[in-house]
Amino acid sequence: MVDRATLAQARYDDLQYVDDPECLDFLAIYFANLITKLGKKLQFRQRVIATATVFFRRFYLKNSYCETDPFTVIAACCYLAAKAEESPIHIKVIVAESRAMFSQENYNVKNFSSDNSKIAEMEFYLVDDLEGDLIVFHPYRTLLSLCRKESGTHASSSNSEEGEADEGPGVGIEDGPRYWGTGEGQLELTSAALQTAWSIINDTYRSQLCLLHPPHLIAIASIYLTFILHPPARPDAAHTLDQDHANESSPEHPTPARQPRRSSRQANHAPSHTTSPKKPQDPIAFLADLNVSLPLVASIAQEIISLYTLWDRYKEDVSPEASKLARELTNSPMSSGASPLKRTGSRSESGLASTSGGGTPSAENRDDTVDPEGNYITPAFLSSVLQRMREAKLMDMAPRPVAVNKRLERTLAAG
Amino acid sequence: MLDEWSTSILNHDPMKLYRAKRDASHRSVTSKYNILGFISSGTYGRVYKAQSYDEEGTIHAIKKFKPDKEGDVVAYTGISQSAVREIALNREINHENIVALKEVILEDKSIYMVFEYAEHDFLQVIHHHSQTLRAPISHAVLKSLVYQLINGLLYLHSCHILHRDLKPANILITSKGVIKIGDLGLARLVYEPLQPLFAGDKVVVTIWYRAPELLMGAKHYTRAIDCWAVGCVMAELASLRPIFKGDEAKLDSKKNVPFQRDQLLKIFDVLGTPDEKDWPGVVDMPEYQSMKRLDHFANRLSDWCHSRIRATQGYDLLRQLFIYDPERRLTAKDALQHKWFQEEPKPTWNAFQSVPQHQIPPHRRITQDEAPSMMPAPQNTSHQGHGHIAGAVPFGQSHSKPGSSNSFASQSGGAAYASGGAPPSRKKARLG
Repeated sequence: MVDRATLAQARYDDLQYVDDPECLDFLAIYFANLITKLGKKLQFRQRVIATATVFFRRFYLKNSYCETDPFTVIAACCYLAAKAEESPIHIKVIVAESRAMFSQENYNVKNFSSDNSKIAEMEFYLVDDLEGDLIVFHPYRTLLSLCRKESGTHASSSNSEEGEADEGPGVGIEDGPRYWGTGEGQLELTSAALQTAWSIINDTYRSQLCLLHPPHLIAIASIYLTFILHPPARPDAAHTLDQDHANESSPEHPTPARQPRRSSRQANHAPSHTTSPKKPQDPIAFLADLNVSLPLVASIAQEIISLYTLWDRYKEDVSPEASKLARELTNSPMSSGASPLKRTGSRSESGLASTSGGGTPSAENRDDTVDPEGNYITPAFLSSVLQRMREAKLMDMAPRPVAVNKRLERTLAAG
Repeated sequence: MLDEWSTSILNHDPMKLYRAKRDASHRSVTSKYNILGFISSGTYGRVYKAQSYDEEGTIHAIKKFKPDKEGDVVAYTGISQSAVREIALNREINHENIVALKEVILEDKSIYMVFEYAEHDFLQVIHHHSQTLRAPISHAVLKSLVYQLINGLLYLHSCHILHRDLKPANILITSKGVIKIGDLGLARLVYEPLQPLFAGDKVVVTIWYRAPELLMGAKHYTRAIDCWAVGCVMAELASLRPIFKGDEAKLDSKKNVPFQRDQLLKIFDVLGTPDEKDWPGVVDMPEYQSMKRLDHFANRLSDWCHSRIRATQGYDLLRQLFIYDPERRLTAKDALQHKWFQEEPKPTWNAFQSVPQHQIPPHRRITQDEAPSMMPAPQNTSHQGHGHIAGAVPFGQSHSKPGSSNSFASQSGGAAYASGGAPPSRKKARLG
């Protein structure tokens, strides 16, 4: 775990070579998307992709984009993550797939080497920069240990292209009882809700969150956001969620009624929910019992929402699920920031929107989230930004380092 | 406009700046450590004894993984799965009874892993007793060795790690008599694995220490395989020879795993043929039909122990480690609570506490390295272990190589081991 200052320090060099600092955040999304796409191509499990992404982020805590070739780093991260997660693939396959993918028009990376040893060499430096920390813990584990699928909804496992919540915790060869073997104290979620939480976790890897917060808190924040999208069935429990949240940040403002919105959401996402609440569970008590700082969880949730806002302006082959989530979350009362004053404003607004918009809130919300200038950030644009950064850096380095490098090469040749 | 230098970097060597920066700050192995001598080699590479140049001057064992070669040119070909495992797992664990990894140095396309140094190992101790002292290991020492071994194993298991290659050569002992489990090159984290264990490595555990469920072709296995190996090691310490010394049937040309007939017969000869009552799952094992064709044996472990481990509780511990049914086999946790460890003589943290000085096994001998890479110039190392007989074989399937230019090369470990009955599977050495 690192703090924001360290993070800022790591990007200091890059900031010298980029016009708009926001580009760096978009690059973070861009590279994570590349890792995900490459991982999918290589038929990686979600956890391998997540591990590769964490390797990538940790590497760039110590290095700058402009001094390195992120595409080589991405390929090496995937190669190493596959081994670290005990599902190795041949280096040739990684190199071929990376090359094929990066040279596509929308990425426009022309110089990716087909030389295996370049990736293998990078792997060496990568292991060194990671200081040998190759075992990564992910929020998925916390999610699956805290929550289980509501009984009776197994059949309705929704389309899980993005996540793998349905796969469960891997191949169960564990001997002896699991820590939570009985399922006692687990929170029941509909399979749609569990899938949502899983997808939110996937999405957090687009940002630096995995460096800033421990995995279990990210998982809890994702569950928390899931409650907003898939509100629990019991109205009183739902009410406490609001109450609780309101107490946290703005005790003087009573919670406005949001039942209409809720029910429309509920109809969208969890049709099975109303029919099967036989064991009443109180999600607030559940979260409170976890013995974690709820304000911290709320602030992580807030960061996830700002990621969605940013991501909505980024256009690749946009995942429909992601932009839908983005819209719903950015329009939810939480999105307006921690300030109590702003919160109230946004609440009444969204209340209005929901009453006037009737059953189709998402169509309306669109306007809020699209960039005022209507500009979408595309991979090709980011590739060219990166190229410019690298060129500028080299220009700065060029006069002196020629000598330095010659000297280095001489010493290398000698030794 | 970009100059030629920049363009060429961007197009042909995009990581050049990074590499230059990293290489400039790199501290090489030989600048940090004084290589004292060569210990052993194996399929993975070579092991050296080294002293750090810092104030403490601590002694280490440096394991150098073989760089892969394409023709004569050493090239990067990716870090092996076993090196990745060993690096990854060692970062997560820290225990008195596990060999500690001090650092990993990646240099010159080779991986150097710097471990804490251990003077002895179980194989060397067994050899010392069978060849030099010609006397069994005392009860107190035996118990201490087994206790600490189980203690280390319990730690690994509680971290969800299977060792998968426990055998005397991999279990080290420091000069202070503390047991250190080594070689995590085959070890695996089994917490929610993405792939079934079988998918990665078709064959695990050296044949003599391989549990019956593995020999029967089980696709799933558990930490019970390590407990079986502990039983084998304990029996070997007690009798100074492997208890189930079977011949390994080799993989056929299609890399299919064959039925390990001889190894199973060696086990049945002592423990009897398992039946459904002992091991309900046996009938579902892939090799069950092959097993039924073998002769029938009765259990005679009690007789076997009678002359070798006289204590009744010692026999009971071994019996429970050798339970066929992996579900019922003693776990490391229960083994540590076993009555045998509570009765006199109690296990000690210095396993050699009760041993007279002159009976303590000799120090690991080191030799001049044949390979020129790590050993800069001939060094005077002859005070190390001079006059002792056997070389030690740490870190897995390794075998001492006689030094070529060294004065005591003639009496180096190779010959001693050949007479001591080194297992065929360990023979990787090219003598002479």
